[in-house]
Formats: sequence, structure tokens, C-alpha cells
Amino acid sequence: MACQVTVPSTRERVSAHDADPAPAAPRPPRRAGGLLDRWGSLVLPLVAFLLVVFVLPLAFVLAQSFTEPEPGLQNYTDFFGSPVYLDVLANTFRIAGMVTVVTLLLGFPYAYLMTLAGPFWRGVLMVAVLVPFWTSLLIRTFAWVLMLSDTGVINTVLREIGLISEPLPLLRNLTGVLIGMSQVMLPFAVLPMYATMRSVDRRLVQAAEGLGATPLQAFWRVYAPLTAPGVAAATLLVFVSSLGFYVTPALLGGPGDVMIGELIAKQLSGVLRWGFASALAIALLVVTGLLLALVARFVDLRRMLGGAR
Amino acid sequence: MRHTRHVVIAAIAAAGMLGVAACGGGGGSAGAAGEKELTVVMWGGEDQKTHVRDAIEPWAKQNNVNLKQDEPSDYAKFQTQVESGKVSWDLVEVEPHFATKACKNGWAEKLDKTKIDTSLVKAELTGECAVPVLEYAFTIGYNSDIYSAENHPRTWAEFFDTQKFPGKRGFWKDATGAIFEAALIADGVAPDQLYPLDLDRAFRKLDTIKQDIVWYDSGAMQQELVSSGETPLIQAWNGRIYRAATAGRPAAQEWNQHILSYDQLVIPHGSENAATAQEWIGWYLSNPEAQAAYSNDTGYGPVSDAAMQYIKPEVAAELPSSTQNAGKRSAIMNYGYWEQNYEDVTQRLEEWRAR
Repeated sequence: MACQVTVPSTRERVSAHDADPAPAAPRPPRRAGGLLDRWGSLVLPLVAFLLVVFVLPLAFVLAQSFTEPEPGLQNYTDFFGSPVYLDVLANTFRIAGMVTVVTLLLGFPYAYLMTLAGPFWRGVLMVAVLVPFWTSLLIRTFAWVLMLSDTGVINTVLREIGLISEPLPLLRNLTGVLIGMSQVMLPFAVLPMYATMRSVDRRLVQAAEGLGATPLQAFWRVYAPLTAPGVAAATLLVFVSSLGFYVTPALLGGPGDVMIGELIAKQLSGVLRWGFASALAIALLVVTGLLLALVARFVDLRRMLGGAR
Repeated sequence: MRHTRHVVIAAIAAAGMLGVAACGGGGGSAGAAGEKELTVVMWGGEDQKTHVRDAIEPWAKQNNVNLKQDEPSDYAKFQTQVESGKVSWDLVEVEPHFATKACKNGWAEKLDKTKIDTSLVKAELTGECAVPVLEYAFTIGYNSDIYSAENHPRTWAEFFDTQKFPGKRGFWKDATGAIFEAALIADGVAPDQLYPLDLDRAFRKLDTIKQDIVWYDSGAMQQELVSSGETPLIQAWNGRIYRAATAGRPAAQEWNQHILSYDQLVIPHGSENAATAQEWIGWYLSNPEAQAAYSNDTGYGPVSDAAMQYIKPEVAAELPSSTQNAGKRSAIMNYGYWEQNYEDVTQRLEEWRAR
């Protein structure tokens, strides 16, 4: 999971550093010739590192998907030949999308609250969102099982106080998956949005109101666009990271909530079908790439992510 | 110019540090000079601790072997270690279908018959590269608050009857978790006619309770599911129910129609400490007290009959190997079949689950 978090953002940064054709943004004049200036060459070891630990293995996975167990397209025809795998892939994107929406809806007001709070309460809010982030994913997931099951804490309390007679179905269904994954992903939504919001000059909102905007108008037409880069970064981070989940949906989800990560793990550790597992991983990567490319056609991702100043 | 050189030096230094960091993780398997070493890998958790404490540590102390552990067994890691020639595991507990496959593919060392007397254990549980390490049974586990000794499913047919016995059912999320065997017996297949499995028929039977199935993939989760009452009924590993019950939790099991299974030990091909591993295996098979010590603590069966005389009477009733329970057996897992079919059936199970 950690890899997936760092990789896309680094890729954005590296490509933004390449010869950038975007003519609109005025840029400081660059020394002609070099791709990187001399301090920039400090980045080279990092690039080499990424090449070794990320690009090479990925190339290996790609090759393997065509060569194991024998050369050919067998793994991909297996994948496209069975409706189950396409369903699971679609399901993976559906769940990741829903988790993204939930974390944005929760994270935006939370981050906003953090900008309003004084130093003490800001610290409390920050710790509250970060502490679960520092505990093991497995422990958090098991904790949710204890909270959400039919005989778990929430249902028992609700039944004891007489609010419900039948347990609420909170576990081993989509609800459980969304609760568990959203909690894990919340810091990834809150932190970039908070970083952006902190740098927004609130006097602009006051100015808008002074010029006759209602508070709602001032929010939507001034504050919201200024925080858009943070929202975009949060969306991208949460969505892409969510695609790789499998422990949480496996433990909290029901029969229809299988995500592709779980199938990949099973193909590897269970039945040792390296080629097919690679093909599944490549399919996930390609579809994710296509989806981001599609989004990029309509939204200027680079400007949204880079324009946080 | 000088400036540039500093930057380049800094860059090289940074690269060097990364290189050191990258290489720092490997190596370091050799122990103190002359000291023997053994890295044992089992399924982890309480069971591995008990097994190592009761049956490996005494031997390691006697023979001055530096014992190490890793967990859990992982077939992908096993294969990768052997194929890359960097084997850090010496003795690995696996399911028999994998042991057979590993032996065929040359991933596992052949047993050294000069050190290991395989006649001490059941021939049908032993392979060219593998010996049994424990016997266990798939039993009908139930929550003893919700159901009782008088009122609980006594057959797999009743286990699949959600009208008569309502509530969720727990199953192991693994093709060799005896889920198909139980479904077929429940559907009326004679236990001695199980193999080759009629999978279409098994899936049709499973379809009837699909909405009530909760999957577990660890022993701890199994105990939690049944004793919390979330799945009042569970296809269980007998030792897990036994230990939940002895810990005072509301779990019990029905031995009637239980399905016998076992795990095996293999030595990855290329293990530096293969000879030491062979020595321990030989010691274990010829040491019924050590097997019995493990069985007394866990409720899992010893692998040689000679061990039964060391079993405590109150534990005997909980072992698949005891005469009173052996008579209630419906079938033994046929790992010859599973070696051939594990991949395909796993595929079908995954697809069925995701549907």
C-alpha cells in the first residue's frame, strides 16, 4: 500500500520536472541545455532508485504475464474470457470510487475545521486522524470486526437500549467495507486538503462577502476553487490507494465485495499462478492509467496538483 | 565548476547510501562458528509456538542447535526461495497437496532414509519428500450457548439445513478446507465414493446456503466467529474448538462424520541446514513423547500410534486418532486428488465466491 501511495505522486513530480510544454504558466527562466540544473542532479540517485525498485520489477511483471506458464496471450484470454474477473475489476473501481466520495465528504469539513481551530484543538484533531494511521492495518480491521458484527459492540449496545430488535447488517457487506476502508484512507484525504486550505488567504472570502456575495456564494465561488488542488490531490491519492486493498474487503466484505487485490494474492500464495497474477496486476494498472488519462482530458490534473501556491 | 563537482560528489554519496540501504537487508544466515542452525516455518500463532516449544526446542537444546522461526508458511515464498537459490527456510509445514507438488518439481529435498525411519508413521500420510507433522479433523463446531449437546447438527446434511438449524455457517476460505467433501456428503454421496469430487454437484449444494456462509482464513478468526455467536455453526479444525472450549469460551464440536486431514513437513531444496532438518525429523518420528506433548496441549493428533499411550485421558476424547473418534470418521482428505486439482478448484471457488 505504501508503494502505491508514493508512486503516482512521485511520477507526477518527475514528469513535471521534465521539459514541460505548458506555455500558459509563466516560469522562471531556465538555463538552456540541461534537463536538470546542477542541484537538480541530486535527484538522480532517487530516479535510479525508483528505476531499480519500481520500474524494473514492473517490467518483469509485465514480461511474466506474457511468458508464464508458457509464452502467449493465455493469461489475458483467461482474464477476458471469464465475466467474473471483469466483474471483480469493475467492483474494485466501484468500491474505490465510493471510498473516495466518503473520505472527501468526511475529510473536507474535517480539514476545514482544522484551519478554524486554535493551536491546541488543531493538534487534537491532527492526532485523532493520525493515530489510527500508525496502528497496524490488520489490527484496525479486526477491531472493526469486533465493533460491527451482529454480536459486536454497536449492535449489542443498540439492542440493549432497545433501539433495534434485529442486528443491523454492518459487517460482511458493502457497508462494512466502506467503513473500514474510509477510516484507513481518511488521513490521505485530510492532509492534502488541510495543507491547501491553510495557505488560502481567508481575506479573499471576506472581500467577496464585502462585495455583496452571500456566504454560500463566497464559499462556492472563492473558497472552493482555491482549495480545489487539495481536493484533487486527495481524490487521486485515496482513489489510487484504494484500488490495491484486499485485507479490509476480505475481512469486512461479503460475497459480492471481492476486490482484485484479493484475487491477485490468492493466485500467488495459493496456487502459484505467477503469470495470471501478473496479468491481473497489469490489467489493474492499465485500466487505472486509462482512467486517469480520461480524467486528465477534462481536468488539468497537473495544474490542479502543482498549483497549490 | 567547483560547485558542480560538490554536487556530483553529493549525488554519488547519496547513491552509495541508497545502495548500502538496499543491500543491508540480506545476508547474515551463518551463526556462530560450528553451531548448527535450523529455521522452522509453520502456520504461525499459538499453534506454532506450542509445536516448537513441545517438540523442537527440547531437541535443539540437546543437540546445541540454534533455533530460528519464521511464519506463516507461504508457497509463493517457498518457490521463490528455491528457484532463486537463496533459501532461508529449512523446515516448512505445508498442506500435503503442496508437499507432493514441491517434491515432483524438485523444490523439496528427498527424505534421508538413513536418518528417518518412516515405518514409524502411517504410510499413506508419508511422501518421498514429506512426513506428517500432525493430524487434525474437520468437525462440526457449534456455539454452545446457542446450540447445545442435545440440540446441534450431527451430520453434514444437518449442517447444511438452515431451516432446522438457522444461523450463519463458517467455512475455511481454501479449496482444501473440506468444504466440497462436506457438501457432497451432505448431498448424499457415500463417503467412500467422494473422489474424484463431483464439483458441479458440490457447488449446487453450496448454492443453497451461499447467503449464510462466512469465510475464515485463520484459526483465531475461527474461534472468534464461533464463540461470539456470529456464526453459531462452523466447519472447524478440531484443535481450535478444543482450545476455545478449554479457555472457557462457549464452543463445542460434533465428531460424527468428521473428515480427517493432516499437515506435512518438507525441506526446501537448497537449504543449507537440510541435514540438520533431516536429523530433527528422524528424532520427531521416533520420539512419541514429544508428539504426545504437543497433542496434549493442542488437541491435534500425534503422527505415530506409539504416542497414544502418553496422551492424557481427558485429551484422548478430543483427538482424531483416539478409537472412540476414529469410528465416527466419514472420510480422509485425498491429497492425491488435491495435488492434481488444487489450482483448478481454487479458481472455481474464487469465481464462485466473487459471483
